[in-house]
Amino acid sequence: MSPGSGRSAPVSRRSFLAGSAALVALGVAGCAPSSATSSSGGGGGVTLRFYEQKQEVIAYFDELLRRFEKERPGITVVHDSTVAIAPQFVRNEPADVGCFNDNLELARYIKRGVLGDLSDLPSAQTVRTDIGELTDQYATYPGRTSVLPYSLAAAGVIYNKKIFAEHELPVPETWSQFVDICDELVAAGITPIYATDRDTWTLWQGLFDYSVGSLVAPGEFFRRLKELGTDVGPDSEVSFEKDFAVPMERAKTISSYFNKDHAVRAYADGNLAFGKGEAAMYLQGPWALSQIALVDPDLEIGTFPLPVSENPEDRQARVNIDLGLWIPTASTHQDEARELVEFLMRPDVLNAYNADNLAYSTLKDAPPQQDERLAGLQDYVDRAAFYQGAGTFVPTSIPLGNYLQSAIRSGNFQGMLRQLDADWRRLAGREATV
Amino acid sequence: MTDTTMYQSTTAAGRTSSAGRTGGRSARRANGRRVEPLYYVFLVPTLLIFTAFVIVPALIGIFYSLTDYVGFGDWSFLGLRNYAALFSDPRILESYGFTLGFALVTVVVAQTIALALAVALTRRIRFATTLRTVFVIPMVVSGIVVAYVFNFLFSNSLPAIATAVGFGPLEESILGNPDLAWLSIVIVSAWQTIPGALLVYTAGLTSIPNDLYEASALDGATPWRQFRSITVPLIAGFILINTILGVKGYLGVYDVIVGLTGGGPGTATSSVAMTIFGGFTGGDYAYQMANATVFLVVTALISVAQIVATRGRAVQL
Repeated sequence: MSPGSGRSAPVSRRSFLAGSAALVALGVAGCAPSSATSSSGGGGGVTLRFYEQKQEVIAYFDELLRRFEKERPGITVVHDSTVAIAPQFVRNEPADVGCFNDNLELARYIKRGVLGDLSDLPSAQTVRTDIGELTDQYATYPGRTSVLPYSLAAAGVIYNKKIFAEHELPVPETWSQFVDICDELVAAGITPIYATDRDTWTLWQGLFDYSVGSLVAPGEFFRRLKELGTDVGPDSEVSFEKDFAVPMERAKTISSYFNKDHAVRAYADGNLAFGKGEAAMYLQGPWALSQIALVDPDLEIGTFPLPVSENPEDRQARVNIDLGLWIPTASTHQDEARELVEFLMRPDVLNAYNADNLAYSTLKDAPPQQDERLAGLQDYVDRAAFYQGAGTFVPTSIPLGNYLQSAIRSGNFQGMLRQLDADWRRLAGREATV
Repeated sequence: MTDTTMYQSTTAAGRTSSAGRTGGRSARRANGRRVEPLYYVFLVPTLLIFTAFVIVPALIGIFYSLTDYVGFGDWSFLGLRNYAALFSDPRILESYGFTLGFALVTVVVAQTIALALAVALTRRIRFATTLRTVFVIPMVVSGIVVAYVFNFLFSNSLPAIATAVGFGPLEESILGNPDLAWLSIVIVSAWQTIPGALLVYTAGLTSIPNDLYEASALDGATPWRQFRSITVPLIAGFILINTILGVKGYLGVYDVIVGLTGGGPGTATSSVAMTIFGGFTGGDYAYQMANATVFLVVTALISVAQIVATRGRAVQL
């Protein structure tokens, strides 16, 4: 698409929207949550809307908001926990402060400039630079720090320490050690890895991302892929087919150690089975730990990054910015919103949140994560030996998880990579890669 | 034979008289007599609601399908480029192939079973009323619930039974098999929609006077002949309604697939509705709006084709 081609829209957006809005206003107005604009009540009080929808920590943030209200009389904060992020932007009444997974979905908002610049906030200087750079891998808006990373989640291979101890297996440091361990487990009649193909996200999150991450740096790969756009193909400088060939050989081998019924098992089945000790390893993130603890709170669990090469130094942890803070440009209470962000970014508040929720602080000189189940990844987080999963760079309009389902079944990972290249070309053709 | 002739003559008489009535009514309207205002009181609110919540959103959607709008922010006009991309996207074409094939198979399966059950239940068999109640239960259970229950059956129960009796082909769940997974969706969709069709057929069958069957029996007609020459022509209108509603429903298949396969394995069971919905979360709003527009046209064409193909086939008493 040539950027200037479509500027002369025959119907102006404003009049079109105004006309259509008027028609539906009657019915839709009732559905809108209490908006920030209709808030300045008597006594100069301001009501902010805070958007945070991560189920597990809604109550936690509620408490933080009450603390903020106490410390800062005159500001009331309403907690908006609607699941979908899009509607508030579609209605053009976004929350005053957002706290959301910093992923490709949020990147669309960053790229289109609807999130304001936070670089002049004092707290922006306290964020670890190597973590701050992660947000730029998905999208940037010129001259802006659109998101302040709040919470970093690190994932690797979750393993059952008891099974490993019983068979005197070490934590693998190289690919061949990993394969040996799997073979020994098979010989001992134990399922090496529990996989849950039916929830396709678990396939790209675990199998795909772990196989790729320590061999090909996803941030760099996708940056070059975006530059190539529609030129991606077998002969281009980078391509899925070429760069992911070795990682997918690894994935293919790993998938041969899955539980027999992996094709029809879902995420909840996996947590249950792993909690009951039915498999030695599980390619999941820290979010699964609380679920597994529901099955067996005393299960001894550890985490290690999947080794996919023969050099132990190559090993990296998969991370994602589980929560990031942002303020939409459309917020009418910029100053108060910044106060709330500053409060949430305070080291005592932020570090406590991450310590309590199996995540890592994003601030410089933060205390380590104390949970033993995650101890194996601390060093990688400290050294910034981490990557954001390759699967998180693939727009959801490419059904990567479904492709992996097929590839695991047929063993044809090469075909899947060619398909990914073709899909990428098509998406690039209509500028839909972010 | 006399009976039949008599029926034919009354039918003919009925037609004329009804024709006369319609003619009279239109004549009165032509004379300038006002239509009862109460009709407008009924019509206007519905029309307004329908316009505001169906027609206007549809038009907005069609308009945005010509842009690169993602739901917020700036957009520019693309003309028909989304449509061009659509027709060269193998995944979209595959989803149309799957959806149309699925609708065709399911409508045949569901209508055949529903009609057979309806015929059986309107005969004086034992427990007909009880059975009718039992058969209607699937209709009142939400699709997603049904799908999850069947998901459990297909993933756990069926393979366990197959393993126990040593039936190889079913030992692996059909949900994990890209060549067979579509069957599970046909089975569940049919199971879920047969009751509705059954009710319509039962209504149709009870509207056929018993004399016809008695008379034809006297003439030596076999039950099969009775079914072909009396039942089917007389309930043709009901078959038409059921088929059109059925196909329309199957084309929009969504919840059953979400509960059973999630569109997989691979993309083997991704329906058009699923790909359209994916556009809302995946930032492909305008592109999938184009898809939705095409789908609207396809669905409308199929319905019109069905009506045209069956027009005049129905027999009235």
